[in-house]
Amino acid sequence: MKGSNFSYLVKQGVVSVWHNRMMSFASFCILMVSLLFICLAVLFSLDIGIIIGNIEDTNQIIVFVEKETPEPELAHIRDVLDSFDYTASVDYITPDKAWEMMQDEFNESIAGVFDAIDEHMMPHTFTVSLNDITKTAEAAERFRIINYVEKVNTPFDFVNFLISIRTTFTVIGIAILIALVAVCIVIIYNTARTSVFARRTHISIMKHVGATNAFIRFPFFIEGMFIGVIAGAVSWYLTKITYESVVTLFASDIMLLDVLGINNIIGFYEINWLVLGANCLAGAFLGAVGTVFSMGKHLKV
Amino acid sequence: MVELKNVDVHYKEGGVDALNDVNLKIYDGEFVFIVGSSGAGKSTLLKLLTREKVPTSGRVFVNGYNLSGLRSGKIPIFRRSIGMIFQDFRLIPNLTVYENVAFVLRVTDRSSRYIRQRVPYVLNLVRLNEKARAYPTQLSGGEQQRVAIARAFASDPGLIIADEPTGNIDPELSYEIVELLKDINKCGTTVIMVTHEHDLVKYFGGRIINLKKGSVDFDDYIGGSNEGQ
Repeated sequence: MKGSNFSYLVKQGVVSVWHNRMMSFASFCILMVSLLFICLAVLFSLDIGIIIGNIEDTNQIIVFVEKETPEPELAHIRDVLDSFDYTASVDYITPDKAWEMMQDEFNESIAGVFDAIDEHMMPHTFTVSLNDITKTAEAAERFRIINYVEKVNTPFDFVNFLISIRTTFTVIGIAILIALVAVCIVIIYNTARTSVFARRTHISIMKHVGATNAFIRFPFFIEGMFIGVIAGAVSWYLTKITYESVVTLFASDIMLLDVLGINNIIGFYEINWLVLGANCLAGAFLGAVGTVFSMGKHLKV
Repeated sequence: MVELKNVDVHYKEGGVDALNDVNLKIYDGEFVFIVGSSGAGKSTLLKLLTREKVPTSGRVFVNGYNLSGLRSGKIPIFRRSIGMIFQDFRLIPNLTVYENVAFVLRVTDRSSRYIRQRVPYVLNLVRLNEKARAYPTQLSGGEQQRVAIARAFASDPGLIIADEPTGNIDPELSYEIVELLKDINKCGTTVIMVTHEHDLVKYFGGRIINLKKGSVDFDDYIGGSNEGQ
């Protein structure tokens, strides 16, 4: 194809957007809404993963060791705890430190109670964080049989709850994404088919004067891509506004910030260009492919 | 040259025989009128000549192409060797007169320079130079058909097929359209014109092929009433 014809076809594709403005607008709206939903679904499911991860990180197994345990044994116990395959970190809390922490945790109104308690009653304590909370039960069993270990505390119910939440979110998230993408493709294909049907005479004329299928498809391809890129850019802007509004709404709740670690979720500014690029690319791809594939029947002249 | 050898076309829907054992030869440079009543097989014959259809049996040759065995990838190349004129003009509404004519040349990948020279030339032939920037909807029926003729002639094809080109225009302009086609024919281009306007045929005369119930009923030369004018 000659360069002048190439630029002519590109120009025709862009000009067609205006000539067929009603169908272009319909395609634009469908693409834009689809990309907005997909983008928000992806971002929020990633955030839910991060929030669950934050909660998992703060979820620890507490291993109490007898008060009279000799120093070398404490080091050995630490080594054993550390050697477990799924141990992420082990922290040792001395009895004195544990005493201080307990005092800090309780209200000043009951401070007098501590005068009656022996400050040397606190055991040696290890807090163990795991990098896979599904191994909590296995870890607890392993830690319980270590010499001098008095008690192992595990928040089993909470762990099980977290595991079930994460599984549910993963399954629901993937199902919603697949459904959204499938619905998008069907709607875009049908919108493009309607748009192409409206110009079937145009296509038939092209076929009669000897245009190849590639020559006929090219302006439609450019048109679909052009609409897709604009829809991608607009959906990026709407995603930004919606996402930041939702995050601001949740971030205003201090408790949620602390408990769920919402301050660790994805900041839109970090992925601004990535989202813009991905939206424009996805829009261009869906717009162009949808238009080109919907032309098949009309090219058989 | 156009040649049909023992061509049968049978439509499965309704079990209709559109063409029955048609044998036909049209030599280069001829001007042929194809006439016949509705359902005689005129449209089917044109669809065979433009490779919109393939015969149920028999063979069709146009401009050296065996259309019965033509691969789909070669169809556009074949169609560039013919010019088509339709009853409903079939101009692209969002392109100007100039662009409608230039479009055929762009399809055949002609250079911009050639297009800039050729389009004004053919528009001048159909006396529409001044309407080059107009859109089809701004033209009369006769003018639109002249644009369609310019488009068909732009790529200098060996054969022009006109499907009832005077069907949608005023009767007095019909003669002007056929005159234009005759002028193109004088340049050496073969012209096949399908029509049901017997007055036109009688006026211009020449080779007449009459189809009746899917068969060639009459194929001969008649003298036109315009001869000697």
